[in-house]
Amino acid sequence: MAFEIPKTVYTGKIKEIKLGQGDKAVIVGGETAYPFYLFEGEMPHPPRIAMEVYDCPPEEWPEAALEPFSGVTDDPVAWAKKCIDDYGAEMICLQLLSTDPNGLDRGADEAAQVVKKVADAIDVPLIVWGTANHDKDVEVFRRVAELCHGKNLIIGPVEEGDHKQIGAAAIAYQHTVIASTPIDINLAKQLNILLGNLGVPDELIIMDPTVSGIGYGIEYAYSVMERMRMAALTQQDEKLQFPIICNIAKEVWKTREVKIPETEDPKMGDAKKRGILLEAMSAMCLLLAGADVLIMRHPEAIKLIREMITELTTK
Amino acid sequence: MVLIGENINIMSKTIGPALKERDPKPIQELAKAEAEAGVDYLDLNIGPARKAGEELMTWAVNTVQEVTDKPLSLDTTNLAAMEAGLKVAKNRPLINSISLQPDRMEPGLKLAKEYDADVIALLWGAEGMPRDANERAMHTVDFIYKANELGIPNEKIWIDPIVSPVSVEINQVKACLEFMAMLGEIAPGCKSTVGLSNISNGTPAHLRPWLNRTYMVMLMRYGLYSAIVDAFDAELVKLARGEKPEIVELVHRIMDGEKPDFSSLTEEEVKYAKTVRVLSGESLYSHSWLEI
Repeated sequence: MAFEIPKTVYTGKIKEIKLGQGDKAVIVGGETAYPFYLFEGEMPHPPRIAMEVYDCPPEEWPEAALEPFSGVTDDPVAWAKKCIDDYGAEMICLQLLSTDPNGLDRGADEAAQVVKKVADAIDVPLIVWGTANHDKDVEVFRRVAELCHGKNLIIGPVEEGDHKQIGAAAIAYQHTVIASTPIDINLAKQLNILLGNLGVPDELIIMDPTVSGIGYGIEYAYSVMERMRMAALTQQDEKLQFPIICNIAKEVWKTREVKIPETEDPKMGDAKKRGILLEAMSAMCLLLAGADVLIMRHPEAIKLIREMITELTTK
Repeated sequence: MVLIGENINIMSKTIGPALKERDPKPIQELAKAEAEAGVDYLDLNIGPARKAGEELMTWAVNTVQEVTDKPLSLDTTNLAAMEAGLKVAKNRPLINSISLQPDRMEPGLKLAKEYDADVIALLWGAEGMPRDANERAMHTVDFIYKANELGIPNEKIWIDPIVSPVSVEINQVKACLEFMAMLGEIAPGCKSTVGLSNISNGTPAHLRPWLNRTYMVMLMRYGLYSAIVDAFDAELVKLARGEKPEIVELVHRIMDGEKPDFSSLTEEEVKYAKTVRVLSGESLYSHSWLEI
């Protein structure tokens, strides 16, 4: 008898969702097999990479991360344009660092104006990431949602504690919500159920499992994402059949191992190369676990991941 | 089913202070209420009792025995306190529990022998929590071997395979069931028990009984002898006493692979059916499992 390669039996499919609007809108999801298992099923839409932009000049970034954006870090619009024009970004993620109540604590109106400016200046999909402070995020996202009606922004993190308020704003003004839970598959499912009960349509939900970089517990995120896909694809768990977004860059670039200069610890080697590789390798792990959208920072790391995606999705 | 009431527990907001202050009233009231609710044993959980454990256990046992003659399950990891309790317990108490940790097993078993008490074998090994059904089986064999060597027969051993919460690790929930199905063959004559409420740890309080009851009925399918339970879950007591045979039968049929048509079931039956699906790993747990 001829040898037959065992095949996983899939019964489910990840929902396809559209991010952004117009010609540059992207569709993610749609998988009918584990990530890149093209020999077992379909992956109709390759994973996408969003490039990070901050709404205020970042502090404490290592030189390697700042250098590609030199001259634009105090202007989110110019920064976003640079990502698109110079580095070919197909999505942008605006990190609302300035709204942090423990930091600059910029008001909701002002923050929303910045979002609007960026949204108007670009045609690729725009992710807007808050501070995870429930009260502040509710205030900010209500304004953002209203001001950017019709743009189909992707807004979050939306957590159990603020899902009603932000969810309602998203329904009213047609934006996609990032359902965010702390590395726990049961809570992820629960939040998706709650958003559904609230009336958020399936095509406006993307999941954030909460991720961390290599050396900081990435295996937990990996395991939760892997189990999400198993439940979604082999157990027909409809409440987990959503695309996954991973906000990985800031987790990698804040670590000691990335930030420490070579002069301080020569055995760590070249700091730029180190940062780029740690970002790329962390992102690659998450892709293999099922990420549909990666939020990344360094153009060189992004280039490496793009090449991997192309190689892994070429039949 | 032998039911052990779990409610007298140092972690409780009323019982904790009462134990600490040696205030008999709340403890005696609870003991009476548990006895009236129809459980067979009363668990007396005094915690690790590092300070004055012997005196505390002696006091607690005497306090409870003043109001009920139900046998007691003495629940502490402090072996000196355990021995103090065994000395004053009138009605053949149960040692809850002896683990397989090397420094605990032999002294614990010697106590059981000396006082002719039944003993709960907590399958917690030198490396902590058993990872699957096979490790549970391995620990069971090791425990029985040692106990028999010291002259304790299988009939006096109650194996506790350690239940873990459904919201933490479904594979452990399944492993416990799988192990229970093997236990009769591995350890003929041994009894079994589980800390049932742990299955629903982390679940909103008003929903916990559904998980507790259903998991108990699922374990009963494989001959579960006893369970440490919330004495005041009247439905659970009924299920254990054979007063709801139609529910037990439904749960067991679903475990055998039957897929009931929900529209033909009562509201109560649907809840049990959904809970079986979650506890067997067929459907992933979330706090809203009864609603979807």
